[in-house]
Amino acid sequence: MEWFTEPFALAFQQRALLGGALAALMTSVVGTWLVLRGMSFFGDAFVHGVVPGIAAAVVLDINPLLGAAVAAAVMVFAIEVVNRQTVLSEDTSIGLLFVGMLALGVVIISRLDTYSGSLTSILFGDALGVTTSDLYGQAILAIIVIAVALALYRPLLALSFNAEKAELWGMKPKRAHAALLVLIAAAVIGSYQSVGTLLVFGLLVGPPATASLIARTVPRMMIYSAIIALFSVWLGLTLSYHLSTAGSATMALVPIVLFFIVLAITRLAPKRAPQEVAHA
Amino acid sequence: MPDAVVGRHVVISRGDRVALKDSDFTIPQGAITAIIGPNGSGKSTLLHAIANLLPISGGALSVLGATPELSQSQIAYVLQYTTVPAGTPLTVREAVAMGRYPTLGFLRRPSADDKKRVQQAMERLDIAHLADRHLTELSGGQRQRVYVAQGITQDHAMLLLDEPLTGLDINSAKTIDGIIHDEPTRGCSVVLTTHDLEEAKAADHVILTSGYVVASGPPAQVLTPDNLATAYGLGSLHAKDDDAPLFPTEHHDHGFDISHNAHDQHGHGHDHGH
Repeated sequence: MEWFTEPFALAFQQRALLGGALAALMTSVVGTWLVLRGMSFFGDAFVHGVVPGIAAAVVLDINPLLGAAVAAAVMVFAIEVVNRQTVLSEDTSIGLLFVGMLALGVVIISRLDTYSGSLTSILFGDALGVTTSDLYGQAILAIIVIAVALALYRPLLALSFNAEKAELWGMKPKRAHAALLVLIAAAVIGSYQSVGTLLVFGLLVGPPATASLIARTVPRMMIYSAIIALFSVWLGLTLSYHLSTAGSATMALVPIVLFFIVLAITRLAPKRAPQEVAHA
Repeated sequence: MPDAVVGRHVVISRGDRVALKDSDFTIPQGAITAIIGPNGSGKSTLLHAIANLLPISGGALSVLGATPELSQSQIAYVLQYTTVPAGTPLTVREAVAMGRYPTLGFLRRPSADDKKRVQQAMERLDIAHLADRHLTELSGGQRQRVYVAQGITQDHAMLLLDEPLTGLDINSAKTIDGIIHDEPTRGCSVVLTTHDLEEAKAADHVILTSGYVVASGPPAQVLTPDNLATAYGLGSLHAKDDDAPLFPTEHHDHGFDISHNAHDQHGHGHDHGH
């Protein structure tokens, strides 16, 4: 029993667990739509795209959340400009901004004396350094993100189903897509302090992708995703304590390992036949 | 019978390309209208404009007595290609229930009546026994029935179907054909696109397209050898000088009953001299 309780005996360890749990809940709900919309590469680029904003905030000694928000807006705007002004595919424009923003972030942060430590902190987070004040901010953001994502369930499902049908049904697909970008940004910004910008992607994609292997409806996918993400945070922190590994990285690694375990189990399980069931 | 759709000098563009040139046409209310023409002749473009998915770039288009934008909520549209990503966990029941979204909006909970409408639509399309199946577990014909069920679940005065019977198994084609016939008896106008001349002949009203509307009116007036030659090119017809073979009196497989199309006398045709 001690093996389970010991990693969370101290206050900073409990804050790490709570911060990770809030990140897990936010990223599960938003990540479900990210996976369903086939926007994983965008999500990957996005979590790197906020790096220069956070780096600039560290250099200028302002709120990193503000810097991340500005960088996210710049990145989305630049992707849209490339999409509208060229015939290049969207993944090319995302790739351009992915590399450009990450490089810019490293250039900015390299001006600091604590270059290496600051960059590591941004990319990989500092789960054990989360403060109570951080948790309050993260909790408020989590409530807003989850509430908005649930309120937009129908527009986002319609958009995932078919954008033209969504338009016909009055589900405002363009606004729903824009809202999803904002939700992704909010989830990344709200989670990076716990798990880092790089590893928040593991929570954004890993649990929803694993949940999609076993869920038959989108609400169930969200619920399974949240359970998997919470379990990953807990197991990741527990393992990192006992194995003396990096907390954030271990948290992000668990859902990926879980994905392959669930994939193997589902592939070994008998499948239902796709033929029409005979009926009277 | 009043017209559900009236187009006067309608021009529709897709990007920089004019997809439908200056065209006049009508679509009668409470009847079956078939839009027929070669590939790329503007059939789907016309449906998109009626559904307000494409704005017209010229002329005037009245749908259900108003602009396409104002009428959009009264139109159910079964698209030709609805490709749902394989990883989307969506059951048949939930997919059909999405047809209630225009009525429910973002947040309103489905009432007992909404659920009843979903169940009735699944029963009409003979997919109630598949309600808990995942969309990816269905055959192409079953999926098409789901999309039609989704369409009729919606509160609608007009049902648009883009090539609804193309490539379907006989059971699915017959079931959807039954819906196409049944909807006008409920006061709904049905507009479908097709490549099948037999389907077009069996409709109440026909619009023949070839980058513009070649002719619009009752099948006998529209599907003449001259109009078909104009739309499809000379030499495409076997019986250019004889109308009779184009209008058999017998019913045919998954076509429409042509006996109820005699009421439509307001068709017109015009030749753009292309």
